[in-house]
Amino acid sequence: MLIKGQVISGEFGRIIARQKSGQSIEIGELLIADSGEGKILLQVYDLVYGSQISQQNLEMIAGMKLEENTEFELFDAELRNYMLAMMKSLATIRGKNAFISKSLPKVFSEVRGVNEKDLEFLAKPKNSLLVGNLRSGSKLLDLPVYLDGEKVFSHHVLIAGTTGRGKSVLVSNLLWSAVGRGYCGILVLDPHDEYYGRNKIGLKDHPNRGNIAYYTSKNAPIGTNALRINLDVIKPHHFDGVVDFSDAQRQCLNLYHKEHGDKWIEAVILEKTLSIENAFRPDTLAVVKRRLLYLLDLEFESNKLFCKGIFQLNSGFATISDVCKHLEEGRIVIIDTSNFSGSVELLIGSLIVNEIFNKYRFYKMNGSLNSKPVVSIVLEEAPRVLGREILERGPNIFSTIAREGRKFKVGICAITQLPSLIPREILANINTKIILGIEMKPERQAIIESASQDLSDDDRTIASLDIGEALLTSNFARFATPISIPFFENVAKSTFKNSEDAIEFSELKS
Amino acid sequence: MKFAHMADCHIGSWRDPKLRDISTDAFIKAIDKCIKEKVDFLLIAGDLFNTSFPRLDNLKAVVGKLKQLKDMEIPVYIVPGSHDYSPSGKTILDVLEEAGLFANVFKGTVENGRLRLSFAVDKKTGAKITGILGKRGALEKTYYEKLITENLEAEQGFKIFLFHSGIDELKPKEMENIISQPLSLLPKGFDYYAGGHVHIVDDKQIEGYGRIAYPGPLFPNSFAELEKLERGGFFIVEGNDLKWEPIQVYNIEKLQLKCDHKNPEQIKNEVLNHFESKELNNTIVLIRLFGVLGDGKPSDIDFKEIFNALYDKSAYFVMKSSHAVTSKEFEEIIAWKRKRN
Repeated sequence: MLIKGQVISGEFGRIIARQKSGQSIEIGELLIADSGEGKILLQVYDLVYGSQISQQNLEMIAGMKLEENTEFELFDAELRNYMLAMMKSLATIRGKNAFISKSLPKVFSEVRGVNEKDLEFLAKPKNSLLVGNLRSGSKLLDLPVYLDGEKVFSHHVLIAGTTGRGKSVLVSNLLWSAVGRGYCGILVLDPHDEYYGRNKIGLKDHPNRGNIAYYTSKNAPIGTNALRINLDVIKPHHFDGVVDFSDAQRQCLNLYHKEHGDKWIEAVILEKTLSIENAFRPDTLAVVKRRLLYLLDLEFESNKLFCKGIFQLNSGFATISDVCKHLEEGRIVIIDTSNFSGSVELLIGSLIVNEIFNKYRFYKMNGSLNSKPVVSIVLEEAPRVLGREILERGPNIFSTIAREGRKFKVGICAITQLPSLIPREILANINTKIILGIEMKPERQAIIESASQDLSDDDRTIASLDIGEALLTSNFARFATPISIPFFENVAKSTFKNSEDAIEFSELKS
Repeated sequence: MKFAHMADCHIGSWRDPKLRDISTDAFIKAIDKCIKEKVDFLLIAGDLFNTSFPRLDNLKAVVGKLKQLKDMEIPVYIVPGSHDYSPSGKTILDVLEEAGLFANVFKGTVENGRLRLSFAVDKKTGAKITGILGKRGALEKTYYEKLITENLEAEQGFKIFLFHSGIDELKPKEMENIISQPLSLLPKGFDYYAGGHVHIVDDKQIEGYGRIAYPGPLFPNSFAELEKLERGGFFIVEGNDLKWEPIQVYNIEKLQLKCDHKNPEQIKNEVLNHFESKELNNTIVLIRLFGVLGDGKPSDIDFKEIFNALYDKSAYFVMKSSHAVTSKEFEEIIAWKRKRN
């Protein structure tokens, strides 16, 4: 095994090693320092120059080359100039077990590159969820990184990264890994219609495609569902966090619901009478009516209501309960929301999430929760419902789940470029964070401060993450794990099923 | 063109001797109506019988009516349903088809593992009819997934598709637990989709598809269905007009009684008082009780006296549902168990 350097000094959390000439050490690289008690797994978080020549003389040497073009050759150059790597200890490895490090490697311990054998402790858990491949700096190790998907999804996931760094690829990989496993049902609100793979490789190509349900408002492919939701299933509280109604408008919604029951939206639009006369100012009802018409894509003429969009009067009665049934049976449900405004997308999410959360609360009460799969809600641009500003106006179903969902096996998988907009107490509740490259320091800081492992020295590591590189921090991982996200097409193709199941049409007559 | 569309006749469904001929009676009335209306042909969208081998006396009556239609040159087109389909492949429907009493339109060939359906063409009207059977547990879904749709969609003329499946997007809230399939599995471009299996009366125009209609059962098949539908029926379709023809075999009288804070004696008296002034001749009586008794046990309710009183008033048949009535003690045990969990 090639020696890459030698520990020379430092302190706990900041171990300094001198790099061996001819070897390269990268930020994020995993190294091993062998010690008598086992192996210490180290990770490089910073690199600095070291030299036996004073700074003044180094500047002079550079000046002679630059200004006078004098060739200057140093005697024992490799001995005098070198690199210093700042490392932190990730774990102490003994056999196939790993523990949190509580000691330092000995001074002058040799450090070497990590290999697959060193990391045998990264075993595949029962409900394995493939997150990516282990990465050492920019080098890819042939070692898949798995987490316990059941625990991960119930304790919430945050996927943070700037646009183009691989968030969607990562989500596709996670979904692909979870399809048909039975331990989780996942609801995906898909504003870019990118996960099902209508016109490209996607989840529809999974060998267990029977465990995927796809709802779309645009020309549903064969075997998938046209998204239709009956107006009767919408209740005023479904608008919490979705539409910013004033107190008076909210009271108006509630009163109509109380008096007209399931048909309350129709009653608002058609301005049906209430038992209390002049309960609202006429302009309050007018605004509520206008906003409902716009949001739900309704029209009315000659005192009759017409539905133009997905919200329907005569169909879609069982859509929400069907979606919940799929989730309870451990399927992945993709809702194509690419045709809708953000508010409509969140309203659809609110309808489903309220229903499934209430069901799971009931299952906890009647003692049947343990037999149910975890349910995770994948939400793009999560600050729309989990952002500080939104939550100042009051809680919504998504924030409720972020705070208390894990007790009921319901979790959020929040995707965002701007984690700093999510309040710290919610970020701290999210026990798994997959961090992709983030340029903006406040965003990195928000994650570092709420991570499951100590990332206080990893600011530069996160800033230097390239496309497809990520740092995984989780209560269910032994250490903050650098990973590489494989291309989705490669993941999918590796498990493709080329032949279709043959069936017999025994009752068919010719 | 004028045709009738019925489904879910479930001949032989009720087990009680007084009710077991009721669906046959409904079928006879429906066929008589079809003849009177001079329909060109009749569609049966599955579950003509309640089992693949019905009782002989029921079978005889049905064969008699089908023979009458045949003699009058009114063709019948069917698909088997989840009840009259048999996993062994043996069903009385094959025998009846062999006798020329109807045509099973689930016909076609298998091409490279995929299903290519062919059309039956109605001689008189030129209507082109095809369809897919229903199977238990909605197993027919795999057939739809393997269906070649291009030839079906490209076919010109008036096209009818018979199916015996629930549709996710159309099923009502109270049927959310039945297994159904997405609308997108139906081939597009048919003029009329004759549905069965879901016991609702429904008729919708769906963009890209055409008219999708469920006539409901010819006679309700359970206590809950009797309560909700009271009677069965079928559609008569003529041009764009679709008319639901009710089939009234018996009258229905029903009572839903909330039993909260009441004792069995009070409940008995309330039921008797309710029906005291009712005319019950030729009537099926439905009594549904629910709630938590204030005193006593559900088994203390004297149903024998109630039933005797109602039969004395010439009720044809009396049914009760009392499983939703509990005693106070029972509720306390449930509350304690919930708390413990």
